Amino acid sequence: MKKMKSNRTSSILLHNALIAVLAFIWLIPIIWLVCTSFSAYSGMNTSTFFPKEWSLIHYQKLFQPDTVQQFPRWFMNTFIIACFTTVISTAFVLMVAYATSVMRFPMRKPLMNMGVILNLFPGMLSMIAVYFVLKTFNLTNSYAGLIMVYSGSAGLGYLIAKGFFDTIPRALCEAARIDGCSEARIFSQIIIPMSRPIIVYTVISSFLGPWMDFVFAKMILNAGISENYTVAIGLYKMLDKSLINSYFTIFCCGGVLVSIPISVLFFIMQKFYVEGVTGGAVKG
Amino acid sequence: MASQKKGGAMSAVGGFFGAIGGFFKDFGVAFAKGDIFVKLSVLWMGAGYARRKQYIKALIMTALEAAIIAFTLTFAMQYVPKFGTLGTVVMERVFNMKTMKSEFNDYDNSFSILLFSLFSFVVWAGAFVIWMRNVVNVYRLQQKAEAGEHINTFREDMHSYIEEKFHITLLTLPVIGITVFTFIPILLLIFVAFTNYDQQHMPPSALFTWAGFSNFLSLFGGGLTTTFSYAFVRILGWTLVWAFFATFTTYIGGILLSVLLNSAKTRVPKLWRTLFIITIAVPQFVSLLLVRNFFSNGGIVNTICANIGLTGFLRDIGLVSTSYIPFLSAPGWAHVMIILINIWIGVPYQMLIATGVLMNLPSDQVESARVDGAKPFQIFKSITMPYMLFVTGPALVTDFVKNINNFNVIYLLTEGVYTTTNQAMANSQAKEVDLLVTWLFRLTQDYYNYKMASAIGIIVFIICAVFTLFAFNRMIGNGREEDYQ
Repeated sequence: MKKMKSNRTSSILLHNALIAVLAFIWLIPIIWLVCTSFSAYSGMNTSTFFPKEWSLIHYQKLFQPDTVQQFPRWFMNTFIIACFTTVISTAFVLMVAYATSVMRFPMRKPLMNMGVILNLFPGMLSMIAVYFVLKTFNLTNSYAGLIMVYSGSAGLGYLIAKGFFDTIPRALCEAARIDGCSEARIFSQIIIPMSRPIIVYTVISSFLGPWMDFVFAKMILNAGISENYTVAIGLYKMLDKSLINSYFTIFCCGGVLVSIPISVLFFIMQKFYVEGVTGGAVKG
Repeated sequence: MASQKKGGAMSAVGGFFGAIGGFFKDFGVAFAKGDIFVKLSVLWMGAGYARRKQYIKALIMTALEAAIIAFTLTFAMQYVPKFGTLGTVVMERVFNMKTMKSEFNDYDNSFSILLFSLFSFVVWAGAFVIWMRNVVNVYRLQQKAEAGEHINTFREDMHSYIEEKFHITLLTLPVIGITVFTFIPILLLIFVAFTNYDQQHMPPSALFTWAGFSNFLSLFGGGLTTTFSYAFVRILGWTLVWAFFATFTTYIGGILLSVLLNSAKTRVPKLWRTLFIITIAVPQFVSLLLVRNFFSNGGIVNTICANIGLTGFLRDIGLVSTSYIPFLSAPGWAHVMIILINIWIGVPYQMLIATGVLMNLPSDQVESARVDGAKPFQIFKSITMPYMLFVTGPALVTDFVKNINNFNVIYLLTEGVYTTTNQAMANSQAKEVDLLVTWLFRLTQDYYNYKMASAIGIIVFIICAVFTLFAFNRMIGNGREEDYQ
């Protein structure tokens, strides 16, 4: 009996040790990022894993913009872009999701099928053509162009929200209709208040889009001047071959600072993310 | 069952054309049976409404008609007639005797012609639909009037947009957004693939024109330049290999990790899960750029490998020929490293999804299997995996397509680090580690080779579309959403 118990304890130990090792491997780069950001040396430390001297000096430098590095500006730029994108995208997504989920009209199926076909075109590809269009209207190197690119086609990403609306009992809407409630009121006063989880998900995911995105920003803001960059482009440019030796540690500081708010939002969102991705599939 | 599912997809396509057919039929009936005002509506869109005393609506339709005509005459006519040639007048500087200045002539801009012609086509298509709907609507009004029913006032009509026509209010803006930012660009891309729009033919200083299938020919080995087909075959091959490995390694890894974390033996599972999720909560441009420097030729990993003698060992057995390990800068090494790094970044994602799915795993099955003496591996193989595959199958397909277009991982890890030594690849601005999308991105951003980029884009679309349709047809049926409401 005793032997069995010790057997079981050791198996639990082994099991948790395995997880600990895996977690450690997964965290090595992150640990390196945080440690390096506290290094006193500006370039990349190539001889030891931990910095030789610790210091906060690069965090201070991060808030003293120079010609290359304007982190506070970039942060504000990205924040502004993200706010606009969030408002437009969330509105589009909820509108399309409600119309396709709750309402019944002749063009519903054809429109949804069109959406499926358009979704097959990878965003990357249409982006190049979008770039042509924006260039024609002189919208490259402008935030308006970038916001439009982020939120213009947001309506196509309605499926997760639709999946959620589909689970709201239809009887509720029917009852409201019988009581003489208009569709607009059903939408704004019954469905929306009931949909807090999916709204949180949509808001956070569209807010995170501009923070996480690299390609679109690079394409549209590439030729602009440093103070108009978003965080992604700014940090990327710091790692140019000619700059990396004097800016690598500042890059790490910026990386840490931008990751903290994003991680917090991401943790709030991930609960809904799982439901969204699997929800539609479970229902077949 | 299978045939029924196939029927689902087929009926979706059929339904689409059926809806279009019904639309034309309604128009025909309305036009044939309508009175003189309905027939007049074909020319003057406000006529039918004016007859039924809906004056405001009549005014709006008349204004709309006028706007479309004005658009056609003043805007579309500048571009659409030149659509066949994409312009003939090259930009030149001419000396103007009157102003004594050198000025540009009235030149054609091929790109504007193409873009605005497409734009006009889309506007006309929209106008055509409105025009037909208008006749149908007016005929309905006539029927209502003949039956003595109440005809809506303008106020009531407006009210219907928050009632039974609320979907129109909701969908108008999103649909316009999708049309402008997805639909027109895709059309444009398709058209550019059939032109010779590249660095030698850059508007406004030069014209480009239609080139038929020559871009596709040079991709598939015909034409004058064979280098493109050489690079294309290799990049396509790597793209598919990458997508396969990237999808399946992270998928299997994610399931294994989540089974490991959700096991009853795990202590503080929430803490462990959080630690893994941190890696994906950090934006990719930070984590990937960091990892790329982590593994760079003179980077920290190379120092450690040299110190513990791994570099020397690999050199002895002939795997590396340099004084460092070229993790991300030599073919072969880079390919393997990219897939490994992608496991690092992708497994936590899949773990998140798998965790959500496994929570709904029917536990009675697992229990009874355990009672019957099944080993953990057997349970995993015969119960967990089939269930996961059933639930996440569609997500697996989308993941594969996403990986074909996984720009971030490849670009952030290799751009500026990896330089190709293969001259034939370099001639077509490609690298061994490129995916089709990163190649296409470089072609447009650095080399202005829009024609080839567009052709590659269409090929990527065809690959993704064929794969998706094939996989979805086999896995899930559509049209069953109503069952669950």
